[in-house]
Amino acid sequence: MEDKKLPDVLKKETSRRDFLRGTATAAGSAIAISAIGGIAPKKAEAQYSVQGVPGTKPYAQKYRFAERQNCTGCRSCEFACSLFHYGTARPALARIYIAKYKDIVDVPVMCWHCDDAPCIKACPTTPNSLTKDPKTNGIILNEKTCLGAKCMKCQEACPAKYIRGNPDTGQPLICDLCGGDPQCVKACMEQAGNPQGPCLQGRPLGIGVNMAFREVTPEQAGKDLANLLFYPNVEGKRVVPAKSKTRKGR
Amino acid sequence: MTAPKGGNFGKVLEIDLSKQTYKTRPVSEEILQKYIGGRGLGAYYALTEYKAGKNPLDEDAFVFIGVGPMSGTMALSHRTCFVNKNPYTGNINHSECGAHLASEIKFAGWDGIYIKGRARKPVWLAIVNDKVEFKDASKMWGKTTETAHEMMIKEMKDPEIRTVVIGPAGENGVLYACLVVERFRAAARSDTGSVFGDKKLKGIAVRGTKYAVPVADNAKFLAAARVNKENNMRGEAWEGIKKWGTGGLMELKHFLHGSLITKNFQTTWYPDVVKIGGEEAMRTFWKRHAACTNCPTHCLKLGVIRSGKYAGLVAEGPEYESGGLLGTNLGMTKFDEMIALIEACDAYGLDNISTGGVLGFLTEAMEKGAIKPADLDGLKPKWDDGDTYMEMIRRIAYKEGKAGKFMAQGVARMSKQIGKGTEAYACTVKGRELAAHDPRGDKIRAYSYTMGTNGGDHHEGQGPQALGMTAMADSLVICSFTNFLLYGAGADKITTDMLNPLCGWDWKTEDYWTACKRIFTAERILLVREGVSSKDDRLPIRMYREKLPAGPRKDVVFTDADQKDMEAKTYGFFGWDAKGIPTEATLKAYGLDPFIDELNAAKKKYNL
Repeated sequence: MEDKKLPDVLKKETSRRDFLRGTATAAGSAIAISAIGGIAPKKAEAQYSVQGVPGTKPYAQKYRFAERQNCTGCRSCEFACSLFHYGTARPALARIYIAKYKDIVDVPVMCWHCDDAPCIKACPTTPNSLTKDPKTNGIILNEKTCLGAKCMKCQEACPAKYIRGNPDTGQPLICDLCGGDPQCVKACMEQAGNPQGPCLQGRPLGIGVNMAFREVTPEQAGKDLANLLFYPNVEGKRVVPAKSKTRKGR
Repeated sequence: MTAPKGGNFGKVLEIDLSKQTYKTRPVSEEILQKYIGGRGLGAYYALTEYKAGKNPLDEDAFVFIGVGPMSGTMALSHRTCFVNKNPYTGNINHSECGAHLASEIKFAGWDGIYIKGRARKPVWLAIVNDKVEFKDASKMWGKTTETAHEMMIKEMKDPEIRTVVIGPAGENGVLYACLVVERFRAAARSDTGSVFGDKKLKGIAVRGTKYAVPVADNAKFLAAARVNKENNMRGEAWEGIKKWGTGGLMELKHFLHGSLITKNFQTTWYPDVVKIGGEEAMRTFWKRHAACTNCPTHCLKLGVIRSGKYAGLVAEGPEYESGGLLGTNLGMTKFDEMIALIEACDAYGLDNISTGGVLGFLTEAMEKGAIKPADLDGLKPKWDDGDTYMEMIRRIAYKEGKAGKFMAQGVARMSKQIGKGTEAYACTVKGRELAAHDPRGDKIRAYSYTMGTNGGDHHEGQGPQALGMTAMADSLVICSFTNFLLYGAGADKITTDMLNPLCGWDWKTEDYWTACKRIFTAERILLVREGVSSKDDRLPIRMYREKLPAGPRKDVVFTDADQKDMEAKTYGFFGWDAKGIPTEATLKAYGLDPFIDELNAAKKKYNL
């Protein structure tokens, strides 16, 4: 983490202590699987290992999921991301961020790692400045060839409106999945694990989420979530007694 | 003047509303090491810039929005501190609240925001990194807090901005108006809303993307911050807070501690609490948890009312204080009505605690015949009458009619105006209403109420050591849930372990305690200058005279022996004399010697 080297996936196996600490999150993950795909949780657990669960084998990352109603808006994912990539706590540089909707819901906005990757297709440079790591599904930016703020064709192409510009260089902030061990998932797993379960999770298979979520912009997602959680008031308005007409200014 | 090595940028944003200009006010490393930031730095500014008897509503009176060295780092710090001289109590006061504002100020490159002057027309400030824009707030003026907040987001075209706004109460100069931060959090106990209103400042929006907090020794600091965070994530102490927020304390304090205030401090036994407490909220109201920056404790609970008159109201709470003051204190038995009262206070920008105190006091006065409905423009408050209370809150916020102006003064002034024996149940300390912990049931809370700088504040620390640690936590500015309430007195080591590598300091645990005492004593000098002494460090008369009639602490009363013991312990710990005046030796030991003359002058003036 200190020298920004991509963590060795196999080496992770040896540090069991980290895994043991995450025992509490296992239940949350199982629920999430059943909620997403309708696949029997136990079978899925056995077949595909889950990050942070003891006794399971780590895998190369392919997809991430967000159990959006579990997000507390603590932004630990943003902090973990910027710390991993830049060695400093600065959420403006994070490649995942939390969008607010009317301050009543928080929506994690992140890369869905689309299989067809419209951002890479839109990249005008030859060869493309954005490439996909076939092993992890992470999208890697070549900072030397990227045209930066004057281009941002990837931002326009992104169906989820996820891509932001780096406030320093103007280049897109895009998720490389930390080489297969996403720090945001780790931070969320251990931090938001209580009591409603974590929000972010990673798995080797997409189970349909990849296509279902990608067309949804942060604002739409926030509206949907507010509808889902705070029904019947879709707009999240406060009920305040009407103002009296007789009042005088100060 | 040396620049800070880490933790701070060494610059405070100074804004002059009269001239509509801003500049950088440098802060030296020496001052930051002595006063840390937040509450401490605010006290330092007041000490050096204010003379005794300063009018809090002068044009050059300041509001200091403070953050600390740990804000915006991995060290689990997310609170913002507001310091100002308070027109309500006449003293220097401070209040803190959570959310994401503090880290945003840090990421914009500032160690605090110092606001002075008075605008001619209503303005609001848009602070984006190094730039400050003075924006016209005439359209926003008169709007409730959440509308103003939405309008700011709309105008900035950036949903990520963090805001602090006042509501109609602050604009109209209600003495206990609060600031509302990011729609659902409030900084209220310094009553800064009325000062903002006087300065014609509707609110502030902050966005920071440019800077990261400098760290002197990154590896060491991250390790220490990690230890602190692990403790917070794994510590069993806060499992309850994570699940229930502070709302769950309502049942606990009622059934176990016997300190849940009921009907203006008449008793602490209120079995109907099960209808409006945390469990009811969990069953019928709460929908999601929300957290401050980087915090694993997510103590804020949001919910929606699902039926009845207020169906569809999305609201926050009940917290222990808001549920206590606007729930059990008013004898409420209907959960929805209580939530509506809390939400109305937030929308108008009124301090939940003081408003609850005012309503409770007036209801008891009405019950005892000290006032008549004619005195309140025909309003007749009685326990559990949500509609009347709602109308009273509205009239307070807009200072409508005779009743509105009368109620907007607060309990102490109302009681003085009414007379007729109402002082026996006017529950205030240093001119401010008490929070929801009855000091007869929760005797250690009396330290916080009486000895704390604010007076009547529940969050000043229980016990002499905790008073000091709170002063430190509010200067850092960190949440007590993530610090000394978790570690107890062991917080000194955890905190210095994080501070040393962050700021490049060489602190030992003794230095931590010296800084605690220095900040608290500096605030005491400010109080003594205004004539405060041990005679003011007392609870309301009711606490000494009336025994609790029922509950787990039946027949308990706050005795004079308790009072003497509390005074001796506190004054002894901080090195003050029997009248609560810091001694010369103490001031010298804490490096506060420039203020000895002023203190002596005050002693002479007030004959202390």
